[in-house]
Amino acid sequence: MSDTFSYLLMAWLDPGLLGLTALGVIAGIYIGAIPGLSVTMAVSILISFTFSWEINNALALMVGIYVGGVYGGSRTAILLNIPGAPSAVTTAFDGYPLAQKGEAGKAIGLSTVMSVIGGLIGVVVLAATAPHLANLALKFAPRDYFLIAAMGLLLVSSLSGKSLARGIFSVALGATIGLVGMDMVTAQPRLTMGSMELLGGIHYVVVMIGLFGVAEAFYQLHNIAKVPVKQNVDKIVPPLNMVLKFLPLSLRTSIIGVVVGALPGTGGDIASLFAYDHAKRTVKNPEVPFGEGAYEGLVAPETANNAAVGGAYVPMLTLGMPGDAVTAVIIGALVIHGLNPGPMLMIETPYIFWFTVGNLALANIFLLIFGLTGIKLFSKIVEVPKAIMIPLILVLCVVGTYSLNSSMTEVYWMLGFGILGYWLKMFGFQMGPIILGVILGPLLDQSYRQAMSSVGDSSVDFLLALVNNPLSLVLTSVIVLVLLGNTPLKGWLYSRFKRS
Amino acid sequence: MTKKIERVRAGEKVFDWLLLLFSVGVLYEAYRIDNGVQLNSAGSFPVGLALIMLASSIAILFSHRRKQRDPQIRSAAQEFKVFLNEHFKPHIVVFSIVSILYLVAIVWTSFYISTFIFLAAMFIYYRQGKVISSLVIASLAIAVIYVLFTIVFRVYLP
Repeated sequence: MSDTFSYLLMAWLDPGLLGLTALGVIAGIYIGAIPGLSVTMAVSILISFTFSWEINNALALMVGIYVGGVYGGSRTAILLNIPGAPSAVTTAFDGYPLAQKGEAGKAIGLSTVMSVIGGLIGVVVLAATAPHLANLALKFAPRDYFLIAAMGLLLVSSLSGKSLARGIFSVALGATIGLVGMDMVTAQPRLTMGSMELLGGIHYVVVMIGLFGVAEAFYQLHNIAKVPVKQNVDKIVPPLNMVLKFLPLSLRTSIIGVVVGALPGTGGDIASLFAYDHAKRTVKNPEVPFGEGAYEGLVAPETANNAAVGGAYVPMLTLGMPGDAVTAVIIGALVIHGLNPGPMLMIETPYIFWFTVGNLALANIFLLIFGLTGIKLFSKIVEVPKAIMIPLILVLCVVGTYSLNSSMTEVYWMLGFGILGYWLKMFGFQMGPIILGVILGPLLDQSYRQAMSSVGDSSVDFLLALVNNPLSLVLTSVIVLVLLGNTPLKGWLYSRFKRS
Repeated sequence: MTKKIERVRAGEKVFDWLLLLFSVGVLYEAYRIDNGVQLNSAGSFPVGLALIMLASSIAILFSHRRKQRDPQIRSAAQEFKVFLNEHFKPHIVVFSIVSILYLVAIVWTSFYISTFIFLAAMFIYYRQGKVISSLVIASLAIAVIYVLFTIVFRVYLP
């Protein structure tokens, strides 16, 4: 018990870790707020610089950036009607109308407090549920891992874009990229097209930097001349009665955020959409209609997207499955540091889990401090023109990729993935599912082969095992339901149900 | 109630056909791993993924039946023109070419020299000739990169 407390408070008591978490939160707020920069991009680039660091230092910085970045997106959504991050898209629906009414300060203050409440609830749920889930996960068979990974990929395919087919293609493409190289079991080259250089595989950080950094830089070139409208912001600390008024809604949407965030493959963006929808359905008489500056429309997504951070850590630390794109990148960081995210992490290196819990809580406290201060400086920094930012992003991507293995070939690969990502993005494909595919592809392959071996390579026995085991049956049912939910059958059933 | 009709973007159909071709290529490469299809081998999962890519790219192509082209685009030549105008604007082409030149130049010159030239050139181009301030910003950026990556992070640069 005393060990747990010492791990939990490690980041709070060590000045270096305190400083790195604070620095991460500040950097995250700005990275999240500046359209064109994303938390995933920042964390991807950061991995390559921090892999020689102590794991605690690297994690403290990443956690700070993650928490700050999820919140930071709301600032520009409120002030400029430009969501800095996908999770802040719904914040702009009511945040910007509030700013236009001259209530930008109050809106930012309220979104800060609610983000912190959501974030802390996410941390509590993480601390309370993850150890039990990890114990349960020890009983999982390889086929269950296969099903969970498949379910996560299917969920992200169906929820992250307008088209399920495009989502599935993105996931399969990512998983294919993840399998390039020598097979770990048979040492056979796979998808290398005869190239010796590809035998070692394609480093997932190279793919991440290309897709999130370079592709985004190219994509932002379309809006290079866009000048945001400035807003005046003064008093931002919200009155206590205002916070108390929205507390019940914030608690409800926190739970939505944690649950959605914990589904492998989803994240703050989907959580905030669900929460906004919940607020619209449950708040019957808002003072101002939704979409015209309702505070409820600001509270719901802001609480949910920060609560989703804690939720996203649950499958990552207990099952080794990323809750969203950022945790997919953080899994990469843990692996680079020789750690094994999954149920064994809690047994082999429990301090990493409790350190992360404590660090997330600390990051939320810093978020409250930095979120309610420095707004004048903030409004200056987010006005950095894209003409300056875009070339700098490319330079950062080059530095980040080269520092991985000192290889210019990887830099060229990174550019190639950036160009591919640009075209995919232009034609409606999402980058998140590709990255999740890259991370989960090898895990799917490995667990599928183990599951097949366990039933003597019999496809009939494999299929029977999917329905004979209670957990496998539940997971298989969810997969079937998600698939059916994306077919015309859903509409047909709905109309039949309505008629009856 | 009228149903909102989705618009197909200029070049989208060609891109989706290219994805189908790419999926066929991946399937061929995956098939070559075991020179056949087996249920549990190094090639089984890649073959499965390639089949999923193939099926989803066919579904994507089918989805075009529900979409409509912009009414102002009447011919393939016109669509090609719109595609070029949208994706090959001068500032995008310049950035792409200069980026490639920059990556090639890193190998021949040092990282700092090529980065300074790249940043200065792009700032001057995008900021429409504000030469002095662009050079100052590029120099500042180089100084920050040096302090951050060489001194603080101790990153090995090209």
